[in-house]
Amino acid sequence: MFFKAANPTMRSAAWRISLWASLAFAIGTMLVFAMLHRFVANDIQRRSDAWLSGEVEVLGDVAARTPKDSLYRRVVGEVAELASREVPNRQRSGAEENDAVFFLQAGESGPAKLWVGSGDGAANLAAIRSTRVVRDVPFDVQVQGASIPFRVASVSIEDGSNIYLGLSERDELHVLRNLRVRFLTLWGAMVLLGFVIVFYATRKMLGRVSEITEAASRIGQSDLSSRVPDTSGRDEIGHLARTLNNMLDRIEVTVHQLHTITDSLTHDLKSPLTAVRGKLETALANGNAEDHAESIGSAIDELDRLTEFLNTSLDVAEAKADALRLSRSEVDLDELLRSMIDLYEPSMSDKGIGVKIQSAGSIKVLADPGLLHRVVANLLDNELKHLPASCMVCVSLRADDRMATLTVQDDGPGFEAGIDRHLFERRVKGRASRGHGLGLAFVEAVVRVHGGSVTASNRHEGGAQLTVMLPLYEAHRQEEASSLALVHG
Amino acid sequence: MRILLVEDELEIQTFVKQSLMGAGYEIHTAEDGKAAALLAAKHVYQGLIVDLGLPDQDGIDLILQLRRSGVTSPVLILSARRSVDDRVKGLELGGDDYLTKPFAIAELLARMRNLLRRNAPQAEDSNRLRVRDLELDVLRRRATRGDEVLNLSPQEFVLLEYLCRNAGRVVSRSMLVTEVWGMRFQPDTNVVDVHIYRLRGKIDTEGREPLIKTLRGIGYVLQGS
Repeated sequence: MFFKAANPTMRSAAWRISLWASLAFAIGTMLVFAMLHRFVANDIQRRSDAWLSGEVEVLGDVAARTPKDSLYRRVVGEVAELASREVPNRQRSGAEENDAVFFLQAGESGPAKLWVGSGDGAANLAAIRSTRVVRDVPFDVQVQGASIPFRVASVSIEDGSNIYLGLSERDELHVLRNLRVRFLTLWGAMVLLGFVIVFYATRKMLGRVSEITEAASRIGQSDLSSRVPDTSGRDEIGHLARTLNNMLDRIEVTVHQLHTITDSLTHDLKSPLTAVRGKLETALANGNAEDHAESIGSAIDELDRLTEFLNTSLDVAEAKADALRLSRSEVDLDELLRSMIDLYEPSMSDKGIGVKIQSAGSIKVLADPGLLHRVVANLLDNELKHLPASCMVCVSLRADDRMATLTVQDDGPGFEAGIDRHLFERRVKGRASRGHGLGLAFVEAVVRVHGGSVTASNRHEGGAQLTVMLPLYEAHRQEEASSLALVHG
Repeated sequence: MRILLVEDELEIQTFVKQSLMGAGYEIHTAEDGKAAALLAAKHVYQGLIVDLGLPDQDGIDLILQLRRSGVTSPVLILSARRSVDDRVKGLELGGDDYLTKPFAIAELLARMRNLLRRNAPQAEDSNRLRVRDLELDVLRRRATRGDEVLNLSPQEFVLLEYLCRNAGRVVSRSMLVTEVWGMRFQPDTNVVDVHIYRLRGKIDTEGREPLIKTLRGIGYVLQGS
């Protein structure tokens, strides 16, 4: 259930945009923080270094001046103790023992001459001696057994020994860790909030876009006179809607022009055809042309074929331009097929072709009945013209939840090799065909403007197969209802 | 019966007028919408034939205009367009009919006759049809020729019934497709002819006078008495 709901969201553009935006935001802020962190760390270190250098100087001075008697240790010890109270970045931990600072006086070798700090200082001395020391610059010392390194400054005094003042970096690290924890918490919250805001904002925007898409596709399918709503906005989406509407205006004008052209062409060609046909028919009917009855009759036949060709050509041309005028109503494919088979069966059995129908019962589509009749007639005419005797034609009809599928298959020789890829193009026909080569182009064009598809193939077991798929009437109505809900919602 | 023919193409107007006059109608003609409206205001017509492509206005607008001014007679629409648009569909539902150009005169006459009959009081719409020695009992779906009972399929009976009801008149193939099979298209192959041959094989048997006659390029006629 969760995945059902989540998957469409995660596939949406809004999701991806907010993901990328948040990622960019997260990386950017992280980089800025890293720079800040570095700056703060350096600054803290500079301060402790300055303190260390100053103090070690003072201590060196004190050590040099204090006579090396029994009081020396106390005096220097006191001074060191005092100094440790003025440690910068001090976090008073409350612990009595001061382990943040140590003072050490030692020669190049041998044990420490003086140690002020927690423990006995042996580990600290060993660590200092093992570290390469740069004179006059404080350095890091990692003492064995202590988790936090010390920052140590040194100075040489007259007796040849060195005075070392060490400051634990614990407080510094603590400050920095605090900084990091607070930043990361805030950063996480900010990225999450940013993601949510971007996601909802883009989803709202893109929702308007998909509303427009929805409306535009509906307009493309049904009528060209409607327009996309949501044109009032002054933003890009309002602009998109207005642009689409302008484009639809132009398409409507173009289609209208195409209709005007084809209409006047039809009118101009059909007027003489009608006149000629009428006169020929009158001549036949009057009976004063008995001798020429045969030739007049065949002239009329030719005229009728010419008319049919003209009609089909213009239909295909308009359908290819998505400008075919449809007058749709509910059509029962099962009923249509049965009437058709009834009409074609005698001709087929005369040619020795068997025909059978497999249908699950009433299947309704929303279509132009006249055009649909011609589509089915074309398919059957095709079989009748091209199938040799003693073949079998099987017409089957079935439906899934969205599409009705009409299949016409035979066990004849199949489509000629090489022709099958161009089957639905105008003027493509087999070598032996006497037709005008428009039949399947017409079928394909009409089915396509009805929102369906046609496929042709040779069957494995031999013979040809043509499959016509059309959207069901129910699917149409549901689509209409949902898009209406979307517009009004 | 008086009919108003509104058609701007003179050639077409002439032969349509002749054939209608030949069928016994009285014809008035007009070449544009304005003339047609004037004539319709002056005379009462039992039927109208209107071409959609008139020079001064669309035929449908003319029909709607006439309807508004109180003309109720049925209209046969002539259209050069390939498809019938929704407005024509609307008129068709309202009881009018249409014919696409080029048309067979036989079909024009048949449709006109149908339209006029719809408006006229029902004549003896008999359930028994008789053409010479051919007899059809429409209720019992029984056909006889002389004293021989014809063994017809239901489809063949409907076909024969239609031919009998139009006995003596020419019926075209597309009329048969429309009236018998309920579809409107022009078959590319000889599917209708095969039905007629089969029917003829059962009716016009050896030694009988053939009743169904083929008129090349036009259609068929069941010869009346």
